[in-house]
Amino acid sequence: MGARAEVHAHDLVIVGGGLTGLRAALQACRAGVATAVVSKVHPLRSHSVAAQGGINAALGNAPGYEEDTPEAHAFDTVKGSDYLADQDAVAVMCREAPAAVIELEHMGVVFSRTEEGTIAQRPFGGAGFPRTCYAADRTGHTILHTLYEQLMAADVAFYEEFFVTSLVTDGGRCTGCTALSVPPGEVHAFPAKAVLLATGGFGRLYSRSTNALINTGDGAALALRAGAMLKDMEFVQFHPTSLAGTNILITEGARGEGGILLNREGERFMARYAPHSLDLAPRDVVARAIETEVAEGRGFPGGYVHLDLTALGAGKIMARLPGIRQIALDFAGIDPVAEPLPVQPAQHYSMGGIAVDDGGRTGVPGLYAAGECACVSVHGANRLGGNSLLETVVFGRRAADGIIDAVNARARPDPGPAVEAAAADERRVAALLGREGEEKVPALLRDLKETMYRSFGIFREEQKMQDGLSTLTALRKHAAGASVGDRGRRFNQALVNLLELEDLLLVGETVARGALMRRESRGSHTRTDFPKRDDERYLRHTMAGLADGKVVISYAPVTIGTFEPQERVY
Amino acid sequence: MMLKVLRHDGRPETAPHYDLFEIDAEPGMTVLGALFRAREVYDDSLAFRYSCRGAVCGSCAMLVNRYPALACRTQVAGLLAGEEREPLAPYPAIEGGEAWDARTTVLVEPLPHLPVLRDLVVDMAPFFAHYRAMRPTFAPADRAPERERLMAPETAGALEAYTACLLCGACYGACPVDGDDPAYAGPAALAKVYRFHLDSREAGDGRRLRTADTPHGWWRCEFHANCRRVCPRGIEPNVAIGRARAELTRRKKGGE
Ligand SMILES: Cc1cc2nc3c(=O)[nH]c(=O)nc-3n(C[C@H](O)[C@H](O)[C@H](O)COP(=O)(O)OP(=O)(O)OC[C@H]3O[C@@H](n4cnc5c(N)ncnc54)[C@H](O)[C@@H]3O)c2cc1C
Ligand code: SF4
Ligand code: FES
Repeated sequence: MGARAEVHAHDLVIVGGGLTGLRAALQACRAGVATAVVSKVHPLRSHSVAAQGGINAALGNAPGYEEDTPEAHAFDTVKGSDYLADQDAVAVMCREAPAAVIELEHMGVVFSRTEEGTIAQRPFGGAGFPRTCYAADRTGHTILHTLYEQLMAADVAFYEEFFVTSLVTDGGRCTGCTALSVPPGEVHAFPAKAVLLATGGFGRLYSRSTNALINTGDGAALALRAGAMLKDMEFVQFHPTSLAGTNILITEGARGEGGILLNREGERFMARYAPHSLDLAPRDVVARAIETEVAEGRGFPGGYVHLDLTALGAGKIMARLPGIRQIALDFAGIDPVAEPLPVQPAQHYSMGGIAVDDGGRTGVPGLYAAGECACVSVHGANRLGGNSLLETVVFGRRAADGIIDAVNARARPDPGPAVEAAAADERRVAALLGREGEEKVPALLRDLKETMYRSFGIFREEQKMQDGLSTLTALRKHAAGASVGDRGRRFNQALVNLLELEDLLLVGETVARGALMRRESRGSHTRTDFPKRDDERYLRHTMAGLADGKVVISYAPVTIGTFEPQERVY
Repeated sequence: MMLKVLRHDGRPETAPHYDLFEIDAEPGMTVLGALFRAREVYDDSLAFRYSCRGAVCGSCAMLVNRYPALACRTQVAGLLAGEEREPLAPYPAIEGGEAWDARTTVLVEPLPHLPVLRDLVVDMAPFFAHYRAMRPTFAPADRAPERERLMAPETAGALEAYTACLLCGACYGACPVDGDDPAYAGPAALAKVYRFHLDSREAGDGRRLRTADTPHGWWRCEFHANCRRVCPRGIEPNVAIGRARAELTRRKKGGE
């Protein structure tokens, strides 16, 4: 196409309209920064809307637990992380948590309440106090809609159904991005003083995942190609309880409210794996326990166990877990008031991501990242439930604060490089649409996801991972020849899926190489061939960079603070 | 089973047509799953919106067997078995049109009352314009206290009945009045106003009710109640509208 790309100049371009992107946008536009939110789906369709259980803050609202503190929250987080979290970042997050949650309430979020009218808090896995603030089991939905409502009164430009295809760099600095506007199918240029990636996780790298279908790791791939580093990518969280089959999440809140796990023999098997915290042990512990039960023949055919909520009674289920009941009815035809739910572990969260400091800065000037696509790192080797919604608002805001200062001090960049990049991507799109080839995207995607689940799932081992990595390499070659049937421009989702496949393949390789080289078990990363945690050699962050198109692994130190690494016992 | 899908390339000069896809309906398959299968096996140019696949994001509202629904939440088996759905008050977009055999075929068409961009993808801009026109931003009565504003658990529960809205637009596509009068705010936007009116942290002075005290607001509703019937979240916009009207009337009588 000869036409020049459309150009949208802003001070700040935020890629992603989930909780992170919207919280950052609010901060930036309130400070007068000309801000755009570019998102591949309408912001309210972002994955954040699915978060159920809640958001952590040491408010001390739960009766009898008034003495909760940010320090206690930090300790639980660090212990949960298997000591791989950077303790300075954890301290920041836990210290800012109460104010962040109160601020959301002040924006209009309708949290569930205690009898006294304060924000109610429920117990969550791995936490020493009931610290998780919630809105029934629709916490993400309520917060995301509230932030969007706030933005209705603010001066921010939304670009919906724009798929970001590249970051633009000029002299080593990020000066914008390019994006495919999906409805007409053309690439536009977005020159900007700064870009914030808030693109969420990469759950759809796995065949079993609780994530939205759009979580394809685009941000991590974009950052990597632009010269930034990824951190701790091998740490992939598997949630113990997703509905068997569709893998729609059954919140940990269900166990927080008193749900229990039973194997085929009707045994409460968690008693053998975590005698003290039982069903509310951290996710990695519970997910491994279920996998083990299934592997040892005590699961149900099809590979699942039961989550029994019947003892809660209809009243409590309706009041505290109405969404869970609806999900069970809609997607499994089961009413949890009367029957146990079939549950199995599924990929849930990406602990790793784009390496950033606690102000969201990557190694590339002008490029920032926050939320699930980033790694600060506050989750280390294993995230506690309720901490990632917290991360989105705390670090979304902090990144914006840093960006506000930085962009106010700079002139708008020369739009030239962004325009050129858009023209190059326009040619790339044309080439992809014109490509002839036997390989089809859905089949490649399926292979990729199954390979990842098989080789880089809950239990990992050298040979399986080597095989998996060879498959990934082969898939990358095949993908380079993949074609789409739809040659048109308008709303070409086959094209979008091809672009997503390329991103997933790159991200998958960073997970694979990181996992292969980490010869220990820590948090979510469980190697059957190296079952012990090895602080001597691996109390350090895995860093992945790109050199000549190849993924290269290196290491960086972990920031230890007041909490000395100990063995985790639950 | 057969999947019968309305296709349109989105250009005003081309006419829509129906495509038939034969799909192996596995147990548990949803309409969204069937659409993916059609795209994978037959035609990857078939366009439809999706994100969460779990009935929480509101992307996939469309007409399924002439009934506004979330494609991801609708099981194919139930449709083929003739599962009962509460009948809708009729309106042109769901009457007549292409015939299909509901025992073998699932009919999928875009949500009515909104322009089609391509196939099942509609332009939601008019829907969101109504929402935005209601100024849906929390406006507290007083300055922010140090801690949270207190709220009774019952109030939070009552609000939940409205904050759960996905803004999916199913109710908008189900409303006979929306089809007649594009200026009508529609059920979702009005339910949103009511949510703020109920919020004990706002002034409670009827200001929110007055936002929609217009011929195209509360007063345009004809109480067909299709909104309540189709809502995947069990929200009852018609109830909110009825209450708002009654309250406005009461306030006006009270000489306000
Ligand atoms: C089912 C489920 C339940 C959860 N429940 C909880 C909970 O109770 N508590 C908790 O703390 N955490 C929970 N989590 C985790 C939490 O929801 C996420 O970590 C968090 O919402 C991520 O927010 P985000 O803003 O970083 O990204 P997202 O909400 O994923 O948003 C990403 C955005 O980026 C956009 N985007 C992506 N790629 C591109 C591209 N190429 N171009 C343009 N735009 C792009 C998307 O459109 C989207 O707007 C849950 C996770 C799951 C899967
Ligand atoms: S009220 Fe119900 S049908 Fe209408 S937009 Fe909200 S969730 Fe959808
Ligand atoms: S895909 Fe989210 S509601 Fe259907």
